[in-house]
Amino acid sequence: MFRFRLDASSGVPPYLQLVHQVRQSLLLGYLREGDRLPTVKDVASDLVINPNTVVKAYRQLEHEGLAGGRPGQGTFITASSFAVEPESNQALRASLEEWLRTAEEAGMSEEAVTALIAVARHDMRKEKV
Amino acid sequence: MIWVSWRQHRSQAIACLGLLAALTVYAIVVSTSMRTAFSHDGLAACLTRSQAGSCQAAISSFMSKFSSMVNIAFWAVLLIAPGLLGVLVGAPLIARELEYGTWRLAWSQTVPRTRWLATKLALVTGGLVVAGAAMTAVITWYREPMDRLTGHLFNNIYDFEGPVLTAYILCAFGFAVLAGLLLRRSIPAMVAAFIPWLAIRLAVEFLLRPRFQAPLTFRQNCAHGCSINTGVGAVPPETGHIGDWVLSITNSGSQTVTTYQPADRFWHFQFIEAGLFVVLTAAALGATIWLLHRRPA
Amino acid sequence: MAHDDAGGSAPALRADRLGRRYGQVWGLRDCTLEVPAGAIVGLVGPNGAGKTTLLEMIIGLLEPTEGQVSVFGAAAHAHMAARLARVSYVAQDHPLYRDFSVADMFRLGRAMNPSWDHGMAQARMDTLGIPPKRKVKTLSGGQQAQVSLTMALAKRTPLLVLDEPVSSLDPVARLEFMRDVMASAVGTGLTVIIASHVVSELERLCDWLIVLTGGHVRLAGPVDDLLAAHRLLTVPRPTSDAELPGLTIHRTDSDRHSTVLVRADAARLQALGRPGWQADPVGFEQLVMAYLQRSPQTAAADDTAAAAAQPRPLAKEVTR
Repeated sequence: MFRFRLDASSGVPPYLQLVHQVRQSLLLGYLREGDRLPTVKDVASDLVINPNTVVKAYRQLEHEGLAGGRPGQGTFITASSFAVEPESNQALRASLEEWLRTAEEAGMSEEAVTALIAVARHDMRKEKV
Repeated sequence: MIWVSWRQHRSQAIACLGLLAALTVYAIVVSTSMRTAFSHDGLAACLTRSQAGSCQAAISSFMSKFSSMVNIAFWAVLLIAPGLLGVLVGAPLIARELEYGTWRLAWSQTVPRTRWLATKLALVTGGLVVAGAAMTAVITWYREPMDRLTGHLFNNIYDFEGPVLTAYILCAFGFAVLAGLLLRRSIPAMVAAFIPWLAIRLAVEFLLRPRFQAPLTFRQNCAHGCSINTGVGAVPPETGHIGDWVLSITNSGSQTVTTYQPADRFWHFQFIEAGLFVVLTAAALGATIWLLHRRPA
Repeated sequence: MAHDDAGGSAPALRADRLGRRYGQVWGLRDCTLEVPAGAIVGLVGPNGAGKTTLLEMIIGLLEPTEGQVSVFGAAAHAHMAARLARVSYVAQDHPLYRDFSVADMFRLGRAMNPSWDHGMAQARMDTLGIPPKRKVKTLSGGQQAQVSLTMALAKRTPLLVLDEPVSSLDPVARLEFMRDVMASAVGTGLTVIIASHVVSELERLCDWLIVLTGGHVRLAGPVDDLLAAHRLLTVPRPTSDAELPGLTIHRTDSDRHSTVLVRADAARLQALGRPGWQADPVGFEQLVMAYLQRSPQTAAADDTAAAAAQPRPLAKEVTR
């Protein structure tokens, strides 16, 4: 059975953490199409969280097309194509490495790079406020 | 709810039973030797035969053997015993729940708090009535030979050989339950209930009891000497009946005037006094139920 | 707010200007709430804020001095038995009769509650490994808390009230206790109210929130809605409160900038976009802490101003 984990101090709302973990596991290949996600009761018990949080996370996954519920049977992973095609993954990876090299040559430290990424992400999110 | 009340008072009930058993054992031991002495010394035969005047010697020897055991032990300690029993059982009934916070458990179940209290009170009151009646029976049986010599209208004996004993216990119980609700702590409630109980008890005994009914008067012409007797422990009093309760003896010229209550008023007095204490009990318990209904913790 | 229960299920809890006075002091005042069935509510506030007062009035252990409260539609003293049948309660320090055995406690539960589920109570003891013959006083704190919780759950009520249930427990016992509460809420539509002053634990447990300080409700509503209605603004230091949108809840000033938590409706938030300003979503714990830290005077003043700005629905006069 797939087991979630909760980082209480991360500042990220619990339901989002669950969604992220499914996305990440799909990317890494730990979850595949057809896998059954644990029941709401199992997750609520396991993580000691509000069952409605789990319901919300599963609904979000449905909304994103990653999972779907089969009445009486549970919630199953429906996406195989979320796992970005290996080729596109490699392409993204390559462009990232090139960018990092450029930043290093420009004299940016590792911390500066991390900060820059955070700020950029932040500003992009801000547009949705 | 009956089981719950029983279970909460189970250890009290067992302690009571233990006390009763101890009392009974003591009673059997002493009373048996009393009865043996009574018949052995020929007192029974003597009393039926004549007016007791001639049995003086036998009576004196019997009394000297047993009266201390019977009277001192009963008087000092056992005056307060019914009160103690009543407050020990009554004070924690509500106060304990308030002290330990278990009222939050007990009164949030589906039984409303007044029904909770009423059931408890009914059961415990019933238990106290049974205990009181049993104690009364044991003590009455125990004292039977002695009572034939002294009657039982006298203070210390009267207190234990009729319904008043049970009524005393119930009154102390009622006061203590009410005190427990008001003071919310068991020990202070015991004290706060015991003191008024004792005050009333003594006031009734010494101020009211002699006047439950108008006393009778017995006059003697003492020109040639009279026999003056003052009750317990002595040869049957000059009024002529064993068990008459002498209130006072005064001189009026050459006459000696004895005011007394006759022995056959025993049961009448018992019911008056028991009734008085039962009314007090009912008032205290009624007030407790009403207060609990109106004023939640 | 004057809607009836006709056609829909009654809210788990409805309070209307509920208040309780102790002598001269108001333990709780002007409390108006409507909590839907199935919510898991966190009731937060410092000690003495009125949490226990509110809970006891909900359960029926305490009479309100003013206002009304009803549980699934059962209100007032006249419906006491009905109210008691709908709520189960685990009080602070989970009181039990210490001389009773666990089996005795369950027998009490069965004797005093028609809805008692004896099988469930025993099954829980089996799962937890607590022998029923053991006397309560010989159990550990965690086990006693579990017995108390079992008493409440086996009563099978639609509303469960927990007053600081885990404050006296060690971390493992805490986790096990709340685990069982969460598991019980799944699929049964159980409404739970958890009073606590430990904010950090509530985020994962609650989808509804009530913040209580100084005897007044400062914040109440579904967590998602509350979070959506607040923003953490980063603004230049000289910005005055009047320039800020909505209501300022908490402000922290640094040399050149200030961080402000504001409560504003969506329209006002969209109107942002000023240079040097940044708006971020606020986290659960930040939100609660900000409200807890507001001084009662500020909070009272703001609440009165807000009430004056809005037409208030007519509240029924309480006749006693």
